[in-house]
Amino acid sequence: MASVFLGINDRTFTYSFTAGRSEFQGTGFRNPMDFALGPDDVVYIVNRSYESRSDGTRINMFRIGDDKEEYITEFGSYGEEPGQFIWPMSIALDKDTNVYVTDEWTHRVTVFNRDGEYLSHWGTHGSGDGELDRPAGITISPDGTVFIVDSRNNRVQKFTLDGKFLGKFGSAGSEDGEFNLPWGICLDKDGNVFVADWRNDRVQSFSNDGKWLATFGRPGTGGDCTIAKEQGGMVYVDVPVGQFNRPTGVCVDNDGDIYIADWLNNRVQVLTAEGRFITEFTGDAALSSLGVDKIKSNPDMIRQRNGVRDFTPEKVLWTPCAVRVDHRNRVLIADTSRHRFQVYQKNGEPVLV
Amino acid sequence: MPDQEIALMAHLLRRAGYGASRDEIEIRVTQGYDSVIEELLNPGNDPGIDEDLMYRAYPSYFDKAAIETGQTEWVYRMINNRYQLKEKMSLFWHTILCAGDNKVDNARTTAIQIDKFRDMGMGNFKEMLMMLSTDPAMLYYLDNIESHKMAVNENYGRELLELFSVGVGMDGESNYSEDDVKACARAFTGWNLAPTIPVFPYGRTPFEFRFDPADHDYGEKTFLGETGNWDGGDIVDIICKQPATARFVSRKLYDFFVADEPPVPSWTLSPPRDMDAIKALEQAYFDSGYEITAMLKVLFNSDFFKDEAVHFAKVKSPADVVIGTMRMVGDHLEPKPGLFFVAMEPKYMGLDLMNPPTVEGWHMGREWINSGSLIDRINFASSMLGNTELPGVRSIINRLMAIGDVPSSEQFLDGCLDLVGPMDLAQETKSQLTEHLDAGGALKHSTEAEQSEFTKRAGETLQMIATTSEFQFG
Repeated sequence: MASVFLGINDRTFTYSFTAGRSEFQGTGFRNPMDFALGPDDVVYIVNRSYESRSDGTRINMFRIGDDKEEYITEFGSYGEEPGQFIWPMSIALDKDTNVYVTDEWTHRVTVFNRDGEYLSHWGTHGSGDGELDRPAGITISPDGTVFIVDSRNNRVQKFTLDGKFLGKFGSAGSEDGEFNLPWGICLDKDGNVFVADWRNDRVQSFSNDGKWLATFGRPGTGGDCTIAKEQGGMVYVDVPVGQFNRPTGVCVDNDGDIYIADWLNNRVQVLTAEGRFITEFTGDAALSSLGVDKIKSNPDMIRQRNGVRDFTPEKVLWTPCAVRVDHRNRVLIADTSRHRFQVYQKNGEPVLV
Repeated sequence: MPDQEIALMAHLLRRAGYGASRDEIEIRVTQGYDSVIEELLNPGNDPGIDEDLMYRAYPSYFDKAAIETGQTEWVYRMINNRYQLKEKMSLFWHTILCAGDNKVDNARTTAIQIDKFRDMGMGNFKEMLMMLSTDPAMLYYLDNIESHKMAVNENYGRELLELFSVGVGMDGESNYSEDDVKACARAFTGWNLAPTIPVFPYGRTPFEFRFDPADHDYGEKTFLGETGNWDGGDIVDIICKQPATARFVSRKLYDFFVADEPPVPSWTLSPPRDMDAIKALEQAYFDSGYEITAMLKVLFNSDFFKDEAVHFAKVKSPADVVIGTMRMVGDHLEPKPGLFFVAMEPKYMGLDLMNPPTVEGWHMGREWINSGSLIDRINFASSMLGNTELPGVRSIINRLMAIGDVPSSEQFLDGCLDLVGPMDLAQETKSQLTEHLDAGGALKHSTEAEQSEFTKRAGETLQMIATTSEFQFG
């Protein structure tokens, strides 16, 4: 199924497949907050879980293949010791595939190697240069500059790979170049910086050195989270395009198209580089490969599913936190409250729906 | 500021909410009792907390994979909801209109019911019963999904009458017959749930109500003396106009907000503790067309509520102990780790939120206290009040220092009691505490070392107050 086109019609996307299932350990996810794309279709995923099931708090590695997922391993755990995290938020890889994970509670960045072995951590709580207060989004440029969304300080800070302060931009507010508890961050192919300005309900872009370039979307209710809540948070909410309700994640593909995880509207919106609306994903999930395995092992689940007439609540996105486009032009969406990924293919040529 | 006004406002905020810091009590006294009541009775439509900040910190609250997640979210709301009466009404209705997740086994469905209690708790009682009769958690919990036109299950019909509305009896008379139960149950046949997407592989999906006309008994029924082709909506209409329903709601409100009443099953023969108060509430019920806010307005403005004899006359529920303490010490006023452990405390004290022991709910009042729960209540409150790093405790200590350069032991103890209540202790207890303070030497706080010692002794004194029998009342 392809998504419905409401805007620019020279892009087509096709739903591809769904990856993962709900698991506290091993072959699934638990509140995936963010993910990073590694070589060979390997994806590193931040699983948040919750306090009474902190065994679900970890990073895991999956290979997202042609049409299904493959579990590789997992690492990291809940806590404040080295190699642990309390509220892991975001993840990025450097050119050597070392893994950097931010933690909004301990205010630090933990570094692992590509196989998940703990290497180091850095970050000090505070508001001075180089200090962090609730670090959220993280991304790393090809030259090894680490960009961190310093959420409660309402700024973006730049560091070396080992945590030395390089620079900062942004301040608290709602004017251009200002932030209100920002969350996600990414770089486009030219090195421009895009930030999900979470509580201002918009996305802003900056030059690599922090000069404000543009604002996308506008503050406002757009979607109403109470509607989403009353519907169980899983029913399509028909809200105006270009409006965001607490955008969390952002990425830009090689065409310059901007993808925004529109958290409380339960969708991902796609905009052109100029900010014109292209389309939105509200979810098309079918059973994942691992999901089928799980159901097949439980005859009672098979019986229950056979009685269901409407699977819409299971198909739709529920508070997606992150979106990325991989080297195959596949759009991967972290479907956070459904503990899975929905994968779409951006087509090179228009596809007849 | 007059002590009586402080005491009355503190009483109001303990009963119509989960208590308040001394700073807030004083602000509210300045605002005026009548104005505060109006504010409590007219909450906003917004959630009363920064929900998006809560969900950012606790994203698992969206899907609520486990009941503990729902309980933790509820405790967060209890601590932080600026519309405290609205929040407390969700607990009020939960203690009466009981459904338990131990049977429902779908935490989000159970939590949605609590959300409805919060949103509708100060509205119209008829609307509340209609909501309840279509609420998926309730229909599942009381087996209405097993009630069919050709095979009626009476569970929901019976409890709707016995425990949710008219009650078993009053003034020595029964309020309904077995035939009424049967007619009631027949009227709710076909009020069912849609087939639910199972938990695997992506987590639970909330139950949804579905009316099945093919499974509904459209036949004639006689219910509480009225005959017709009643369906569930008609039953609710008939229930709400019964004097017994007015009595039921009035006694429940009185029991929860004013003074302990015996459990519902004994109401046939046990008259209300204060019949005049109940009559006033019944009048408000009918005059307003079953509006709960109108009844609460009468209650909070009444002499029977303001009467000093009912201050500290109710045994605190576990929620009052835990949430009241957290609000007093100023902890978890924003998202932080550790909330789960706080949220489990009511369960350890006998109030397993969202999991009532039976459909009758909890036996409250003095039945909250047993040898196990008392230890938990004391340990929890004393550990919190003894933590002098918590902002609310720091505020109390700063106020104690403001009493004077070297307050006497009596002044110091009175200050502590004033700031955690204001409350009083038996004279013998006070004497023991002042003797203990005397033995520790003068309560100076001029130097840094003296301030440290003063702080330590304040924390200890607050801990000892938390161990007194008087502290168990609110």
